[in-house]
Amino acid sequence: MGGQLRMSRSIRQSTRFPIGEIVGVIAVGLSGLLFAQLDMPLLQSLMAQALILSFLAFGIGYLIRMTGWVSFGHAGPFGLGAYGVALAFSGPGPAPEVMLLLIIPGVTLLYFLVGLVVSRLEGIGFAMLTLALGQGLFVAATKFRAVTGGSDGIAVSLPRRLFGLTTDLLQQPHGMLVFALSFLLIVYVFLRLFERSHLGRLTVAIRENEERARFLGYRTRALRAAVYGISCGIASIGGVLFGLYQGFVSPDVLTWGMSGSGLIMAILGGSSFLWGPIVGAIVFFFTREWLTENTDHWLAILGIALIVIMVLWPKGLSGGVERLLARLRTGSGPVPVELRRKAA
Amino acid sequence: MLTNTLNGLVYGSLLFVLSSGLVLVYGLRRVVNFSHGALYMLGAYIGYSIALRYGFTAGVLAGGLALGLVGIILDLVVFRNLSDRNPLVTVIVTFGVFLVLEDIVKSVWGTQNYTLDPPAALSGVVEIGGNPFPAYRLFIIGASFIMAMILAIWLKFGRTGLFVRAASFDPSVAAMCGVRTDLLGPAVVGLGAAFAGFSGIIAAPFLSLHPAMGSEILVLSFIVSVIGGLGSFGGAFLSAMLLGQIQAFGTVYMPELAALLPYLLMSLILVWRPQGLSGRAA
Repeated sequence: MGGQLRMSRSIRQSTRFPIGEIVGVIAVGLSGLLFAQLDMPLLQSLMAQALILSFLAFGIGYLIRMTGWVSFGHAGPFGLGAYGVALAFSGPGPAPEVMLLLIIPGVTLLYFLVGLVVSRLEGIGFAMLTLALGQGLFVAATKFRAVTGGSDGIAVSLPRRLFGLTTDLLQQPHGMLVFALSFLLIVYVFLRLFERSHLGRLTVAIRENEERARFLGYRTRALRAAVYGISCGIASIGGVLFGLYQGFVSPDVLTWGMSGSGLIMAILGGSSFLWGPIVGAIVFFFTREWLTENTDHWLAILGIALIVIMVLWPKGLSGGVERLLARLRTGSGPVPVELRRKAA
Repeated sequence: MLTNTLNGLVYGSLLFVLSSGLVLVYGLRRVVNFSHGALYMLGAYIGYSIALRYGFTAGVLAGGLALGLVGIILDLVVFRNLSDRNPLVTVIVTFGVFLVLEDIVKSVWGTQNYTLDPPAALSGVVEIGGNPFPAYRLFIIGASFIMAMILAIWLKFGRTGLFVRAASFDPSVAAMCGVRTDLLGPAVVGLGAAFAGFSGIIAAPFLSLHPAMGSEILVLSFIVSVIGGLGSFGGAFLSAMLLGQIQAFGTVYMPELAALLPYLLMSLILVWRPQGLSGRAA
C-alpha cells in the first residue's frame, strides 16, 4: 500500500515543470561564484573540502534513495578516484588528460560489475559485504607499496597544464570551490533528469517491490547494479577532486571511518530530497571542524549524534524540510499521510 | 606444515567464538551487531587491566562478565526499543555504539599498543611432531572448543536453549506458547557480548591490544558470517576454520597477498553461493 502511495506521488511530481528547482540550482551556482570572489581563503578552503566530501555522501544517499541499500564501503570508490589521480600523473601510459577522463567511468563500470554480485544479497548482508569490500581495498592500498606507497601515501604530481589550461587554480580554495560546485550541480541535474525518466521511476518501483517489478517483466538485477555503479561513480568524482586539491593521497581515504562519515552525512541530510546528503555533508563537515578544535572526543560525539538522529529523526534535515513544505502546501489542512519510512 | 595447520586452528577457533556471538544475536534479533568488534576490544582492554592486577584468570572472567553486562544494557536500550524499526536503522545505531566505545577505549587506555604475557603455567613451549609450539596457543584452541561445545549443548539440549531456538525461528509463536521472549533478548545479547569479551581477552596474549583491533576483527567476523551464511553456527564454524587455515598458510607462502586472501575467498564464495555455505536459497 505504502509502495503505491509513494509511486503515484513521484509520478505526479515528475509531470510538473520544476521551475522552483531550476531557479534553485542557478541561485546556488551564482552564490557559489559570488562566494569565490570574496577574500576569505580559510572559509573557502573549508567549503571546498566540504563540497569534495559531499560527493561521498551524495553517492551513498543516492543509493539509499533509489534502492534502499545502505553502503558501509563507499570510501572504496572515493579512494579509487583519489589514487587514480595520483597514478594518472605518475605512471606510464597515455597522456594524463586521457587517464583523468577514464577514472570516473572506470570506477563506475568496475562497481557496476561488483554490483551484479553484491546485489544478490539484501539489506544487512549487503551492508556487511560493502564494509568488507571497502576494507579489502584499504588493506590492498597498504600492502601494495610499489604502486600505492603503502601507508606513507603517494604525492600527486599535478602537471602545470591540463587540457591546455593552467592547473594552479585547482589547488587554491576559491578555484576548487567553483570547480567542485559546478561538478556537483552537473551531477545533481543529471541525476534529477534520470530520476524523472522511465528508468528512474522503474528503479523506484523496484525499491518499493522488486518482486512485483520482476513480475511485470522487468529485469531488475542489472538496473540495481547500474544504480550502485552510478552511486560509486559519484563518490569517485569526490575522490578525483580530493586528489587534485590535496595533492597527496594516503590509505586514510580508504578507511572505514571515511565510509562511516559519508554514511552519517547522508543520513543527517536524509533522502527525502536528492540534495539532502549534500546539505548533510556541509553541516557535518563544519560541525566536525568546530568539534575537533574544541574537544578530543569527536568520535563519541559523532556516534551519539548518529544514534540520536537515527532514532528520533530518521528522515534527517531534508525530511524536516519536506514536512515543512507539505504543511505550507496544504495550508492548515490535515497533515499529509506520512510517507513510508525508507531504509534509512 | 603441522605448525601452520595448528596456527590456522588457533586463529580459526578465535574467529569462531567471536562470530558465534554475532550469529546468536542475529538469530534472535535479525540484526547484525556492528559494535561487536568494539565489544571484543573492550573485553580485551578490561581483561588486560584486571589481569595485570589480579592475575590472568580473574582477567578472563572480568572480560567476559563485564561485557555480558554491556550486552544486557545494549539489548535493553538499543535492540528492544528498535525492534519494530527497519533492521538497517538498528544496524546504523550499533555502528554509532561502535564509535562511542572506540572513543571510550582511546580515552581510557590511550592509543598505544599493549602486550599481555600469557599466564606462567601456559607460557612454555610444547613439542608437537618435533616442532616447538607455544602452549598458550593450544590453550586458545582448547578454551574456544570448550566454549563452543557449551554453547552447542545448551542450545541443543537445554530448556532455555530450546526457548532461544524457538524464539529465533518464530518469536510470536514462541511467545504464544508461553516463552518469555522479553527475557530472552537481554540474555542472548548479553551472552553474545560475553563471547566477544571472552575472545578479546583470550586473544590478548596472542595478538596485541590497540584501538584498531576492534574494526579489524569485526570485518573478519563479518566475512566469516557472510561466507557461512547469516545466522548459521555450522556455516560460521566451517568458514572460520577455512579462514584460519588460509590466513596461516597465506602468511607463510604468499606473505604479500595474505591480508587480501579473506576478501578474495569471500568474493569467490559469494559468486558461487550468494546465500553463503550453509544458507538456504533466497
